[in-house]
Amino acid sequence: MLVAIAALAALPARADEASPSPRPTVPARIVSLAPSVTETLFALGAGPRVVAVSTFCDYPPEVRSLPKIGSFVAPSVEAIIAQRPDVVIGAPSPGNHEAALALERVGIAVVAPDPEHLAAMPDVIRTIAAAAGVPDEGERLVARIEREMAAVRARVAGLPRRRVLMAVGQDPLVGVGDTSFIGELLAEAGATNVAPPGVPWPRITLEYVVARDPEVIIDTSMGTEQQSGASGFWQRLPSLAAVRDGRVYAFRSDRILRPGPRLPAGFEDLARLVHPEAWR
Amino acid sequence: MAVGQLTRARLVRVNGVLLAMLAVSVVAAAAIGPVRIDWRRAFDLSLASPDAVILFRTRIPRVLMAAIVGGALATAGAALQALLRNPLADPHLLGVSSGAALAGVCALVLRPVLLGHTLVVPAAAFAGALASMWIVVGLSRVDRRLESYTLLLVGVIYNAFAGALLMFINSVVDFYQAHNVLFWLMGSLGTTDYTVVGALALYTLVGLVMLLARARDLDCLSLGDDRAAELGVRVERARVVTFVAASLLVGAVVSVSGMIGFVGLVIPHLVRLRTGSDHRLLLPASYLAGAIFLVWADTAARTALGGTEMPVGVVTALCGAPFFVYLLRRERRRAGM
Repeated sequence: MLVAIAALAALPARADEASPSPRPTVPARIVSLAPSVTETLFALGAGPRVVAVSTFCDYPPEVRSLPKIGSFVAPSVEAIIAQRPDVVIGAPSPGNHEAALALERVGIAVVAPDPEHLAAMPDVIRTIAAAAGVPDEGERLVARIEREMAAVRARVAGLPRRRVLMAVGQDPLVGVGDTSFIGELLAEAGATNVAPPGVPWPRITLEYVVARDPEVIIDTSMGTEQQSGASGFWQRLPSLAAVRDGRVYAFRSDRILRPGPRLPAGFEDLARLVHPEAWR
Repeated sequence: MAVGQLTRARLVRVNGVLLAMLAVSVVAAAAIGPVRIDWRRAFDLSLASPDAVILFRTRIPRVLMAAIVGGALATAGAALQALLRNPLADPHLLGVSSGAALAGVCALVLRPVLLGHTLVVPAAAFAGALASMWIVVGLSRVDRRLESYTLLLVGVIYNAFAGALLMFINSVVDFYQAHNVLFWLMGSLGTTDYTVVGALALYTLVGLVMLLARARDLDCLSLGDDRAAELGVRVERARVVTFVAASLLVGAVVSVSGMIGFVGLVIPHLVRLRTGSDHRLLLPASYLAGAIFLVWADTAARTALGGTEMPVGVVTALCGAPFFVYLLRRERRRAGM
C-alpha cells in the first residue's frame, strides 16, 4: 500500500501534447498503468478501448481478463509497446517514471496526472478524459463525483469533529497522516486526525496514540492478520475511548485508495465510521 | 586466554554490576518517552487512566522486548565469533538474519496454505537462520580452512541473494500481501502483549543455556579445531549445538522485531575488552550488555522524533557501522596487510 500510494515523482501531465488539435482525437488503443485510471476510463465509457492494464487493476471485473503490462510500481516497457497503444495513461510513481520516459522516447504519448491531493482530483479526471478523447464525459463524471462527495459532506457538516486514528499497520504501527490523500478524506469526513501532523504515513509511537485518545479507530490491517489477534491489539489499551465505546473498526477498501469514480462511495464508508449517527 | 583466571567471585561481580545497570536502564527507559506521564495516575492498575496504559501496556513491554532482543543478538554474535574464530562474525553480516527473514516471509506468504498457525512463521525463521548458517559457513570453508575475508564476502553475497529472493517474492504476491511482507520485514520492538514477551524470553533463554553449557568448548574452539580436539572437545558436536542455539536466538528475534544489525558485532567486542575471552563470563556479560545497549537504542528510536519513531535498526547501524570499519582496519593492520 505504501509503495503504491507514495506517488512522489512529478511527471507532468501531457494531455495537451497527446491531442494538439482542438477537436479531440479519439485513441483506439489505450493502456492503463494504474487501478484508479482503469476505473476512471471504464466510468467514462472508454472501457472497450482499454487494451491492457496493470496487474493491480481488478475493477470493474471485466479488466481481470485483459492483458497485463506489469505492476503499477514496475510496468514493462516492452509489454506496453507490444500493445501498440495510441496513448498510455497512468499515475506518477517512482517505479514507473523511467518506463514513462522510455515510452515517450519511442514516440508513445504518456499521460500521468498526479492524484496526490484530493483537490487535484477533478483535473486528474479531466486530463484522463481528454487523453481518452471524451472530454464531455469527463465533465459529467467530475460533476457526478463532486455532487456525491458534497452530499456526504452535507451529512457530517455541523457535527462535532471526532478524534480518529486510521492505522495501516500494527507492528510497526503506521498511520494515515494528514498530508496524505486518505488523510484529506478523513478530515473532510469530520475527523480530527490524531496521527502526528505533517507526515503522510507516520510510523507512530503507540504511547502517543494513547495520549491523544482517539474516539474512533479505523484499522486497515485487521483481517490481513488473524482477526482475533489483530483486534486484541487494541483491546489491550482499555483507556482508549474508541475501545471503551466499541468503535474499533476493521476496514479495508480499494475505493478510498483510488481517486476515481468509486471514491464518493469510499468517502461515505469512511464518514459512516466517523459519524454513524448522521445516517440513522 | 583468561581461561584459568576466572574466579567465581569475578563472574558474580561482573554480571552483578551489569545486571544492576540493566535494571537501572529498564526503569529509566520506562520513565522516558515522547509523552509526559503523571506518575500518581500511572500506578492505577485498573488501566482506566491513559498514564497507566502508557506505562504498563506500551513502555514496559517494549523495554523488556528491547532487552531480550539485544541480549539474544549479542550472545549469538559472541558465540559465532568464537566458533568461526572471526571477530567480524555477526548474524546480520553473515546473512543469518536475512536467511531467517527470507524463510519467515515465505511462511507468511504461504500461511493461508499452511493453515495459518501462529507458530509457523517463527519456526520458519529459525529453520531459515540455521540453514543460512550452514550454507554460508560451508561455502566459506576452503581446504578445511575458514578465512575471515572469505566468510565476510560469502556473507555479503548471501545477503544480496536473499535480498533478491525477498524482492522477487514481493513482486509476485498481490498488493495486500506485499504490504504485509513489507511491514513484517520492518518489524518493531513495540508490543502490548506480555505473552509475546514471555515466549521470546523463553526461546532465547533456551538458546542462552545451550551456549552456556558449551562455554568451555567455545574457549577451546577459539584456539582452533585441531587444538580443541586435542583438548578433548568433540568439535562437530560443539559446532552443531552452537549453530542451533545461535539460530534459535536469531530466528526468534527476527520473527518479532525484523532485522536489527550490528548489536551482535559491537557488544561482544566491547565486553571482551573488559572481561577477556572466557565464554563462561563473556556469554552472560554479552547478553546483559546487549540488553542495556538495545534498551537505550530503542529509547532513542521511539523518543527522538516526538510522536513518530524510527526503526531501531537505524540507531544500531549509525552506532555500529563506524565501529565495524574501525575493527576491520585494526584487524588488517594487525595482520600486517
